[in-house]
Amino acid sequence: MTGECHISSLVVHTRPDKVPAIIERVREIEGAEIHGGAEAGKLIVTLETETEHQVVERINAIQLLDGVLAATLVFHHFEPVQDQE
Amino acid sequence: MDLTRRTLLKTQAAAAAATAANVALPASAQNILTGEDLHLQWSKAPCRFCGTGCGVMVGVKDGRVVATHGDMQAEVNRGLNCVKGYFLSKIMYGSDRLTQPLMRMKNGQFAKDGEFQPVSWDQAFDEMARQFKRVLKEKGPEAVGMFGSGQWTIWEGYAASKLMRAGFRTNNLDPNARHCMASAAVTFIRTFGMDEPMGCYDDFENADAFVLWGSNMAEMHPILWTRITDRRLSHPHVRIATLSTYEHRTTDLSDMALIFKPNSDLAIMNYIANYIIQTGAVNRDFVEKHCNFRMANTDIGYGLRPDHVLEQQAQHANDAQVSSASSFEDYAKLMSQYTVEKASELSGIPKERLEALAKLYADPKVKVMSLWTMGFNQHVRGVWANHMVYNLHLLTGKIAEPGNSPFSLTGQPSACGTAREVGTFSHRLPADMQVNNPEHRKHAEEIWKLPHGLLPEKVGYHAVQQDRMLKDGKLNAYWIMCNNNLQTAPNTNNETYPGYRNPENFVVVSDAYPTVTAMAADVILPAAMWVEKEGAYGNAERRTHFWHQLVNAPGDARSDLWQLVEFSKRFTTDEVWPAQILDANPDYKGKSLYDVLFANGEVNKFPVNELDPAYENREAKAFGFYVQKGLFEEYASFGRGHGHDLAPFDTYHQVRGLRWPVVNGQETRWRYREGLDPYVEKGSGLQFYGNPDKKANIMGAPYEPPAESPDVEYDLWLVTGRVLEHWHSGSMTLRVPELYKAFPGAVVFMHPDDAAKRHLRRGQEVRVVSRRGEIRSRVETRGRNRVPQGLIFVPFFDASQLINKVTLDATDPISKQTDFKKCAVKVVSAATADAGDQQ
Amino acid sequence: MRRGVFAILIGIGPCLAAGAIFAQDAPRLRGPTPFTEEIPAPPMQRQVTDDVRVRRNYPDQPPVIPHSIEGYAMDLNANKCMSCHARKFTEQSQAPMISVTHYQDRAGNTLGGLAPRRYVCVSCHVPQTTAKPLVDNVFTDMDALTETERQPERGRN
Repeated sequence: MTGECHISSLVVHTRPDKVPAIIERVREIEGAEIHGGAEAGKLIVTLETETEHQVVERINAIQLLDGVLAATLVFHHFEPVQDQE
Repeated sequence: MDLTRRTLLKTQAAAAAATAANVALPASAQNILTGEDLHLQWSKAPCRFCGTGCGVMVGVKDGRVVATHGDMQAEVNRGLNCVKGYFLSKIMYGSDRLTQPLMRMKNGQFAKDGEFQPVSWDQAFDEMARQFKRVLKEKGPEAVGMFGSGQWTIWEGYAASKLMRAGFRTNNLDPNARHCMASAAVTFIRTFGMDEPMGCYDDFENADAFVLWGSNMAEMHPILWTRITDRRLSHPHVRIATLSTYEHRTTDLSDMALIFKPNSDLAIMNYIANYIIQTGAVNRDFVEKHCNFRMANTDIGYGLRPDHVLEQQAQHANDAQVSSASSFEDYAKLMSQYTVEKASELSGIPKERLEALAKLYADPKVKVMSLWTMGFNQHVRGVWANHMVYNLHLLTGKIAEPGNSPFSLTGQPSACGTAREVGTFSHRLPADMQVNNPEHRKHAEEIWKLPHGLLPEKVGYHAVQQDRMLKDGKLNAYWIMCNNNLQTAPNTNNETYPGYRNPENFVVVSDAYPTVTAMAADVILPAAMWVEKEGAYGNAERRTHFWHQLVNAPGDARSDLWQLVEFSKRFTTDEVWPAQILDANPDYKGKSLYDVLFANGEVNKFPVNELDPAYENREAKAFGFYVQKGLFEEYASFGRGHGHDLAPFDTYHQVRGLRWPVVNGQETRWRYREGLDPYVEKGSGLQFYGNPDKKANIMGAPYEPPAESPDVEYDLWLVTGRVLEHWHSGSMTLRVPELYKAFPGAVVFMHPDDAAKRHLRRGQEVRVVSRRGEIRSRVETRGRNRVPQGLIFVPFFDASQLINKVTLDATDPISKQTDFKKCAVKVVSAATADAGDQQ
Repeated sequence: MRRGVFAILIGIGPCLAAGAIFAQDAPRLRGPTPFTEEIPAPPMQRQVTDDVRVRRNYPDQPPVIPHSIEGYAMDLNANKCMSCHARKFTEQSQAPMISVTHYQDRAGNTLGGLAPRRYVCVSCHVPQTTAKPLVDNVFTDMDALTETERQPERGRN
């Protein structure tokens, strides 16, 4: 059985006073990982998803978070994967 | 997509976003390592495998070995390893490592027919002590025994020797080096009065000709082979001649490849001696000054059980080791029988090629290095074969100088350093001393601070004999350490296995992995491996080299040293020493063996604050003193001043090994030669000072046939041996995936015509059958070994194809070393119901 | 949280079920049970000849050979390996060049070509078969130790 693996990264511009709360909410999103940028108010976030639709869906979810000024997609890569290796 | 790739992509993705946002990410987000993450702790160690003794550097991180490479500073190998050496970092990590003692139990008690249950060390030692005491009481010291190892560290062999000889008062201690180097060791003593080569590896860079006798160095001593090929390819005048019973990777790279019929090596060497004599190539001056002539007893049998017809028929089966003084004339007369015609007929080698080989030895301008291992040693006339090659070098004076070197190669990493030098054989004490010599025993008792008369004088059971005595119920408490004898002893179905499962016997096995031997034992003790303990080995060129403990053994696994010393605490002198000794020396009454053997003021002399703080040392911490140093220094006192000088303990941790004798900090590269060996008297030029008259013995012996040759029914020679990728019984290398995948199983190397004649195809399953047993294997008609018709080769690393069920327990009657290279078998398709001939 | 969609390399591992002390059934390692029994010989394994480079366990490890070497000359007249892996042939063959370490002699000097001490390639480089390892090996890749939360605990099979 084959599927896909999508890896993408975004820069999430945040209001400085909302950073901790946003970090917490982003962490709850499935496949999301925060790599840094908290001090600058520009969170570096990667997403691992199975479909392109999920990428769009989750970026939207982040954009709607209270305190998020913008969420910009920078990098997107996908390839097919086997279920079992 | 695996986890690694996903992580990499995520890291790239994050980096791209960070750059776009002009944000700095912490170093851990980078996809390359920096700073602390990159640091590994590197320490030196000898390789765990063969007698070459390469130096390696071992990389440790977070308590695990993560890398190794060849040590550029080690003179032996200068940065090279063979494929086994390159996978040293994986040998300790097979997932079925033994981590707890196991004992056969029923209803919470030891039961020989029970299943293995995990027990504590205390429980295991309790039962072991109970059994050993019972046997000692009921049957005496001759009924207990130990089978040790040329892969023991030096202090492990030394501790075992003390425990068995001085503790339990038995000489039934023999190492697996009996199967490997006994013929060589015995012949060294018979010829030179002292063990071990007089040359060193520096001979490789000085020789003009290399003659390899039955030694497949390309696979078995690969790094020494690189020194030979380096010499040969860089100096076009150099010649390599290899004699073998089949073609292999070494013959492929030889100028002269001489394929001979098994056993005819004896005749070839006598022919060469004859050639040297007849062509006036004898170095008269040398022979007169430095050699005696002796004649060996002939018709000496085959070391089989005494009631065997071959033993009954042999004239000198009981005094095989005896020789008589002789003369050059008598020796020359015996050699004159070995004409080139006779040698050619017996060996199958064309006359011109034999003569070309002889010329290498005879030409005084050609510096010859002769090399041999198992082809000569695992031979029913192994001692004679060793003698014969020394004869060639002694007749021509080509010995004890750079490039002129009869060099006995060693199989195991410390057959020299531990088994031979420490003396873990059934007839030996340290520093070449013998148990049946009263002066030697007295000297050992003095160094060991033991009562006079304590040490037993009777030579103990050797390897093959131990198996026979176990079977016959005469040896009843037995401890096997660091070897896999049930797989590697000859004729195992009939002569080894019965003894292990004999209900009268109690068998303990110490090993790191569950081997064939461990599965047949009553108690299994989990052992620490290699760099999980501080250790020392001695390689083939007399180089003693040390290593520190670098990582911890898993679970409750403990080193053999800890096991031996800890076990000694369970016994008191009152329990195991004879009453008259204790009455005459009452100070020794009521002491534990631990007190008198290890806490004796010498072995416990060095405190733990002398440990190197950078390294762990579990044994020293367990006993409260630097036990390795204490054992080593006590042991070294045997040899210092007697030609076996070892440097101080601490020195060896600093350097990449030193070749003994080490006198005034200087190692000795060539022994017996004035100016190079400090023990040679000024003005004498050359002295074989191991013998009282300082001369070497040229021993005359004839050709005698092997114990079993092919006949009408069993029409093939069986040769057993190793392959490059696997070490001995494979217990370590088969657990390394890359080595396993390189050579996953034993095969029967067979000539394509022999296969065709028997209607066998490559890959077909066959039965290899002898008079003693059979195994199933697969035919291989291609590959690295090209055997002649009438001969097959099967490696012994595969426990699912126990070729030693097929081999014969015939030995050299003098050295007691088994001949694993010659017996008679037939090969038939596994599908055949009856074992009829297929001509 | 992450779901198990993606392939994860799980080692078989020593699971000690109640009463089962020895994890694997491996006559090739522990011999037949009982010892005296004759067991069928496992089939000969196929060579791996797919030319795919296999990751090394650590930098100094000699890479395994991913192609057949059956019949390759390795004697005083010819070294077949060098007909592709020598520097001058690599562009044509696209084979990896012999490591720079192979140009050094015993004293550490760099020579103009393959050092004679390195002549016998097969002492260090071995081909592989498709044989499935008998036991798991828990050697840990050093990368795994430095990235523990992202990498699996065990090394490769």
